[in-house]
Amino acid sequence: MAVGGTPVFVAAGGGVLGAVEALRLEPALTLVATPRAAQVLVVAGEQRPSDRIALARIHAQLFEPRATVWWRADRPSGFDFGTGAPESVSDAAAFISAQATQSEGEAILLDDGPPNPWEGVGPYGQGGNGMMGGTPYGRPMAMTTDDLRDGLALDAYSATFGPYLTQWPPGLIMETTLQGDVIQSVRIVEAPLAQDLLAATPHLELARLLRLLELPALADRLVRAALADPARAAAGLARAVRWTGLLAAIPSALARDESGGDVRSRTAGRLDALSAGRPADPAAPGDLAAMLIGLEWHEAALVLASFSIDELRGAIASPAVRMAKGAA
Amino acid sequence: MSLAAFPFLAFFLALGAALVVVLDAVARAALAGAPAGPYLAGTFRHAAMRLSGQLVTTEAPDRANWRLAPAWYGALAAAGLAVVPFGEGMALIQLPTSIVLWGAVEALVVVVVFLHGWSPNAPFPLIGAYRYVATGLPVMLPSMFVLIGAALPARSLDVLAIVESQREMWNVVRQPLGLPLFLIVGLSLTLRGPMDYADSADLAGGSSAEDSGPARAMWQAARLAMLVAFSAMAATVFLGGYLGPLLPGPLWLALKTALVLELMVAATHLLPRMPVSRMVTFLWVVLLPVSFLHLLAAGLVAL
Repeated sequence: MAVGGTPVFVAAGGGVLGAVEALRLEPALTLVATPRAAQVLVVAGEQRPSDRIALARIHAQLFEPRATVWWRADRPSGFDFGTGAPESVSDAAAFISAQATQSEGEAILLDDGPPNPWEGVGPYGQGGNGMMGGTPYGRPMAMTTDDLRDGLALDAYSATFGPYLTQWPPGLIMETTLQGDVIQSVRIVEAPLAQDLLAATPHLELARLLRLLELPALADRLVRAALADPARAAAGLARAVRWTGLLAAIPSALARDESGGDVRSRTAGRLDALSAGRPADPAAPGDLAAMLIGLEWHEAALVLASFSIDELRGAIASPAVRMAKGAA
Repeated sequence: MSLAAFPFLAFFLALGAALVVVLDAVARAALAGAPAGPYLAGTFRHAAMRLSGQLVTTEAPDRANWRLAPAWYGALAAAGLAVVPFGEGMALIQLPTSIVLWGAVEALVVVVVFLHGWSPNAPFPLIGAYRYVATGLPVMLPSMFVLIGAALPARSLDVLAIVESQREMWNVVRQPLGLPLFLIVGLSLTLRGPMDYADSADLAGGSSAEDSGPARAMWQAARLAMLVAFSAMAATVFLGGYLGPLLPGPLWLALKTALVLELMVAATHLLPRMPVSRMVTFLWVVLLPVSFLHLLAAGLVAL
């Protein structure tokens, strides 16, 4: 449950993730996971030109009056609204919080209409041959296909996720087919963007994993320690994290990397690095897309968070068009 | 008890919800190593802003169910609290089978949370809804065993009789596994921490990912109300409810409810959430047999 200051959605680009984590600790702001809950959109860091449409969609989901703040970011062409925030974290937090009440609203960039023409059959798209209803607004009826896990045939659902999901590395885009919450196929469209040095500390890498395990307060404590001194050994903090039982909560043998490690052992390695005050040992994911197939959504998110952003980037030749499909 | 009890129940829920907000902010700040003051001040400002915020909708949602889900959730919390006795013979709804009514409330929460995730017509809420149903069913079964176990020494399904059966010894002592098992049920009913499968962080808020403005505030308020109702029921079934020396019964119940709320808030912030399949395996393979043994032991003791 969100606590704190002005609710803000941060659309993070490149070279800024550590700074965004520092922004999270500012009491004037609460970073939220969805633009629906945000009063201000903060666009932070280097933006890929190809992410313009995704950014415009996020902007359109804010409620009115919309307010956008650009922080350490270059504006893509066409985005001539919003205001620039000061560079420093504390000044930026005060500035962003003030925008919540000062904005006079911004027009959306996209058409507020259906994504495709209506090609449905019947008044609600329920008519036609076998009541299949044609393709209303470009979306045919979801059909069942074979399931990878237990043979229970569920409706397959395909969608593109990213690049601004706050629970994923910024910039990562994947086309995914899901049945229930089990991933059936993955195509990695874009690799994550390179980030600042702070984001590569074991503190912040563990913090990203802890948030996925619903331990946001401890994650904040890790970020605080990293901001104070990332090179200092933090054995007490590592012990506090271990005592939550997070290693037992992570399934064993989840996503084996090329040297045989799994999510649990990579996390244990990060905890060791944290208590010794050194960087974590490197790992090579191998074929990342193949690794995610058959996993549940939550497990897949844990797998992504168990590698450093540089390791993920190394595993994906960007712009990769790697296709991996499960056995049908 | 008369209809005059309605404002009292509403006051109890509101007071409990405010306490949870404070406890949550304090726990979060303590763990994060930050002062609690700004968290707290911000939370109330936040809530006021939400209520005045605009409702943003999705493409082709099931609008009626989307709007009704928070109301159902809140109504279930109120119905659950209505069978909790605040003193001898002081429950708004007095039934010879009132613990069964609470069981029905638990089961209907699964339906309401599913509706809330299904109705926005969007992927993350829907995944949250699916996941909640997958964990909801195996959570309900231990709950049933635990509640039947508590009813055995009372030889009655009336919550009032369950309280009266604890005059000599509280159920938390007589049935030591009952309260911990019941707390797991409560974490699931209120979508908190280690059992938050519907509104999870990996789904950007899951079933409430598309909620905005007053609808979001309503859903969060309903979660808090259910937490208060659950805690009052846990205090009643395991901690002797309104029983206690000197102080009046309702005050004892309020104090014990606050104690359960503290346990719930601590569990929320200290325990990690397992992936769904691991949790479902844990529920069926470990928790269900444990709760069955608990019922067996409770039955033997009650003989």
